[in-house]
Amino acid sequence: MELAYIIGLNQKKLIRTNNISVKYGEIDIKFPNINLDYGGQMLIMGKSGSGKTSLLNILGGLLSPQTGNVLVNDTDLFSMSNNKRDNFRGQQIGFVFQTPHFIKSLSVNDNLKFSQYMSSKVNQPKIDMLLKKVELNHLKNSSIQNLSVGEKQRISIIRALVNQPSIIFADEPTSALDDNSCYNVVDLLTNLSQENNTTLVIVTHDKRIKDKFPNQINLNDF
Amino acid sequence: MIFKLAWRNIITRPLSSGLSAVLLSSSIMVIVLSMLTMKQMRSKFNENANKIDLVVGAKGSRLQSVLCNVFHIDYPNGNIKLKEVDFLFKHPFVKSAIPISLGDSYKKHRIIGTNQNFITQIYNGSILKGNFFNKSLEVVIGANVAAKLKLDIGDSFYGSHGIEESTHDHEDFPYRVAGILSPTGEIIDQLILTSLESVWQVHPHNDKKGSFDLKTAEEHDHHYHDHKTEVSENNKEVTAVLVNYNSPRAKFSIPGIVNQKHALMGAEPAIEIKQLLDLIEPAVNVIYVLSLFIFGISLFSIVVTLLNSMKDRKYEISMMRVGGASVRLIFISIILEGFFIGLIGSISGLILGHSIMGIMARFLNLKYNYQFSALVFDSLELVLLFLTILIGMTAAIFPAIAAYRLDISKTLKNKT
Repeated sequence: MELAYIIGLNQKKLIRTNNISVKYGEIDIKFPNINLDYGGQMLIMGKSGSGKTSLLNILGGLLSPQTGNVLVNDTDLFSMSNNKRDNFRGQQIGFVFQTPHFIKSLSVNDNLKFSQYMSSKVNQPKIDMLLKKVELNHLKNSSIQNLSVGEKQRISIIRALVNQPSIIFADEPTSALDDNSCYNVVDLLTNLSQENNTTLVIVTHDKRIKDKFPNQINLNDF
Repeated sequence: MIFKLAWRNIITRPLSSGLSAVLLSSSIMVIVLSMLTMKQMRSKFNENANKIDLVVGAKGSRLQSVLCNVFHIDYPNGNIKLKEVDFLFKHPFVKSAIPISLGDSYKKHRIIGTNQNFITQIYNGSILKGNFFNKSLEVVIGANVAAKLKLDIGDSFYGSHGIEESTHDHEDFPYRVAGILSPTGEIIDQLILTSLESVWQVHPHNDKKGSFDLKTAEEHDHHYHDHKTEVSENNKEVTAVLVNYNSPRAKFSIPGIVNQKHALMGAEPAIEIKQLLDLIEPAVNVIYVLSLFIFGISLFSIVVTLLNSMKDRKYEISMMRVGGASVRLIFISIILEGFFIGLIGSISGLILGHSIMGIMARFLNLKYNYQFSALVFDSLELVLLFLTILIGMTAAIFPAIAAYRLDISKTLKNKT
């Protein structure tokens, strides 16, 4: 038993999926089982229509699978009530999307604060620290609508981290960016998640970042 | 934070949120304005109508007689001989009978010939400065007259013939201010009071012309004035006698006695005013219905505004859901937006209603001789405030349900 633990066979996983699938009309999409450690990083690749976003939405508890279950921290996401799942997501999961959306009526700081408010974790020093880290502290009180696409993406990464979640799911975070911004965003995501001991899952079809992640699943193979 | 979010969502969409609030505010304003005007009018009318049991004047319109002799806002039906109403001063059922004589004015303030009982018994008035009138051509002026016309004790002025539009001044008969009354908030504040003898002295010929018709003041010939001629007892005229009873039985006997007389007519202010208010009431109800109609439109506008806002904000809402916001939190935030629109609309409507009442009060004070005020409040306004907020929140339920039903996964898939 001890030996099995030492070599990692019995190690407790943060994310485990069992035979999950979704159905779009007549099309059934089956996904591979995913097992991801605490603090681990994973890249899920796949061409358009392979179900990358659907998989990410299932892992994040935003979309119910047709079959199978998802365990996050040993908790079955879809056995919870909607309210509990919303709360769990707020506490444990952060999201980064290709097009970052914010509450337009609020400032940068208030958007980040609202994220913390939703999970009852208001912590202004954490926000200040992260803003400093991405060198956007000077935009703290700016309207979110005045930010450039690149600045918005960096703020969206911070937003995913302000609640100190266990996992960050990033859906095509680099697809709309030029090479330079693409590598900056990936570096930021990987570094910040490592620093915060947060598990990172990126789904993308962007081959530019393929080499950055040794732990990969390609949905085209299934 | 949720309050801040709802508030920011309102103020960052000033046009659409503003339109809903303006519509709400307009309807509240009209309701408040009608309510305050009617409330003050009813209260002042009833208050004054109840001060006098019977107005005995010349035959004609009863309402006109009451409006002229109690409220001082209409023309007299004519004059009556003082000797014909002599019985009223001695009748056992009569507590007080106070004669009044109208005819002249000074800068649109009526000069009333009467006795001191008019001031002390009917209006509980008291002298603030100076004395009551003792001699002919001495006057006591109401507090507003003194303030507005800047008259003080010892000042003199000439009365103009006619009540509202004068034809000429009685330049041979200067009135002298003997006293200024304490403010009462009632009609008396707007009046100039003198003795009956003063009026008879200024108009000694009236008996020759019969009824003293103030509407056709141009017929008045100044050459009739004979400053040395005293009016004989038999020819003394007054415009009306204001009667108060001292027995409930008087109500059933005195009006009958008065109306049997050829030249007299009795009008009961309480009845006439009730009939007048009953006449006005349907018109006010039409205004209420119209404002309710605007109210309905404003509610529809809130629904449309918030629905459009939801459409614009569906990605925002999805992101909030992704970030852990429960559907309940989203629902509450949208209901709060309805709350704020309702709050802004109702408070601005109440403020506007009172402000316009304040502006209107200046004209109404002149027209009706009453102190209308913007600072009169009605408990119904509080009900209106809560009702509007409640309705604003109710109107937000439909958009809130739309947000509640938003499919986050589909919404984000379409955009990302």
